[in-house]
Amino acid sequence: MSSPIRRVLSSTVGTKLLIGLTGLALFVYLIIHLAGNALIFAGQDAFNVYAHALISNPLIIPLEIGLLLLFLVHIYKAITNYVKNLAARPEAYDKKAYAGHTSRKSVASSTMIVTGIIVAVFLIIHVKQFKFGSYYQTVADAGVRDLYRTEIEVFSNPFWVAFYVMATLLVGLHLRHGIASGFQSIGFDHPMYTRRLTMWSLVLAVIISGGLAAIPVWVYFTH
Amino acid sequence: MRIFLKVWRQASPDAQGRFVDYTAEDVSPDMSFLEMLDVVNERLIMQGEDPIAFDSDCREGICGTCGFMVSGIAHGPDPGTTVCQLHMRRFKDGMRLTLEPWRARAFQVLKDLVVDRSAFDRIIQAGGYTSVNVGGAPDGNAVLVGKTASDKAMDSAACIGCGACVAACKNASAALFTSAKISQMALLPQGQVERFQRVVKMVDRHDEEGFGSCSNEGECEAVCPKEIPITNIARMNREYFRALLFSRD
Repeated sequence: MSSPIRRVLSSTVGTKLLIGLTGLALFVYLIIHLAGNALIFAGQDAFNVYAHALISNPLIIPLEIGLLLLFLVHIYKAITNYVKNLAARPEAYDKKAYAGHTSRKSVASSTMIVTGIIVAVFLIIHVKQFKFGSYYQTVADAGVRDLYRTEIEVFSNPFWVAFYVMATLLVGLHLRHGIASGFQSIGFDHPMYTRRLTMWSLVLAVIISGGLAAIPVWVYFTH
Repeated sequence: MRIFLKVWRQASPDAQGRFVDYTAEDVSPDMSFLEMLDVVNERLIMQGEDPIAFDSDCREGICGTCGFMVSGIAHGPDPGTTVCQLHMRRFKDGMRLTLEPWRARAFQVLKDLVVDRSAFDRIIQAGGYTSVNVGGAPDGNAVLVGKTASDKAMDSAACIGCGACVAACKNASAALFTSAKISQMALLPQGQVERFQRVVKMVDRHDEEGFGSCSNEGECEAVCPKEIPITNIARMNREYFRALLFSRD
């Protein structure tokens, strides 16, 4: 990376471009992740075959490194950006009110840094519990991991069910502002679609976090 | 009407400021907010006290000189209105209002409610103009500009540089101001020549002045007396992205 590009990407606009691009890429990943994990509803075999197909694909390592990089850039940029933004107003207002009118300020938009950090911590636990969690072999083929069993094991504990539901709801809150904000940051603007995007952010956030939260709840009550 | 005011008083940029309570008596609902402050100040002068300093010039909402926080909202509760065009009929008898200057690292408080907004001038100086010599004025219809582009450029050019966007933003970002000034050039043929340098230079200057970045909440748009939309910020980001990819300078 040449020096002028690095300088440009560290500007306020360049920073937001990077946060927006990586955020939207992570959002796309999350849709794929949810779609794949929803195979748990199709039963043990379908889920394990899918998990095995993923893990045995030679592209999985570069993709995982890419995914990790997306997370690292997104988190690093968001935290440094947050610190710089705090410095931009050293003296706080005695009284500050919601401007109303056309403002899109929401609980979600005001808590991005908090929900983001909690979700990041959750992801470490999540990866440890599943990717690096208890390893079982399937009966049919010793080379295939029985990830289904691992999942049933984790979600038989009501603590983990509650933990995952809470975490996925925070993911939803993060997405509720994040999706529309990401598009705005990368410069997407359209007289009609920009307004709809705010609404679609909410709809997609509800679908994704609802879908993610449904998995542990379903496992707990059916197994 | 009687209005109770809690006003930020600060004698000089380096002095320690504090809130002082005042009571505005005999306020007419037809007074503008600044006329109400004029009445308070007249009484302060009669009592030999230092009047409350605030910026104002045209008092008809078009110059961008006035502006402060009225109970936590830049220019007060009315949308699309500068504080000089905010009228006392908007408030109820006996209300308590807190008046504070714009707060931002880039906007130093000079006195009471007056802040130094020369950071905006320096953003414009960094590239908010056309410097290429294009010769004499062309014939009226020689350079055609589409109706939509001309309307949008005019809407962006409506920015009066009052600083309310910075004041309302939780990050004290001047993204709305900077993007409006970039947009008014980027949308017109005259702005094409220095298009890439302009956006990079103006954003650089914006950052050097100590403004924060945009969180896309749109609080700025909501308080903007000229109702400049944040689609300008998307345009600025797009221009910046393009400059990053295609600039050859």
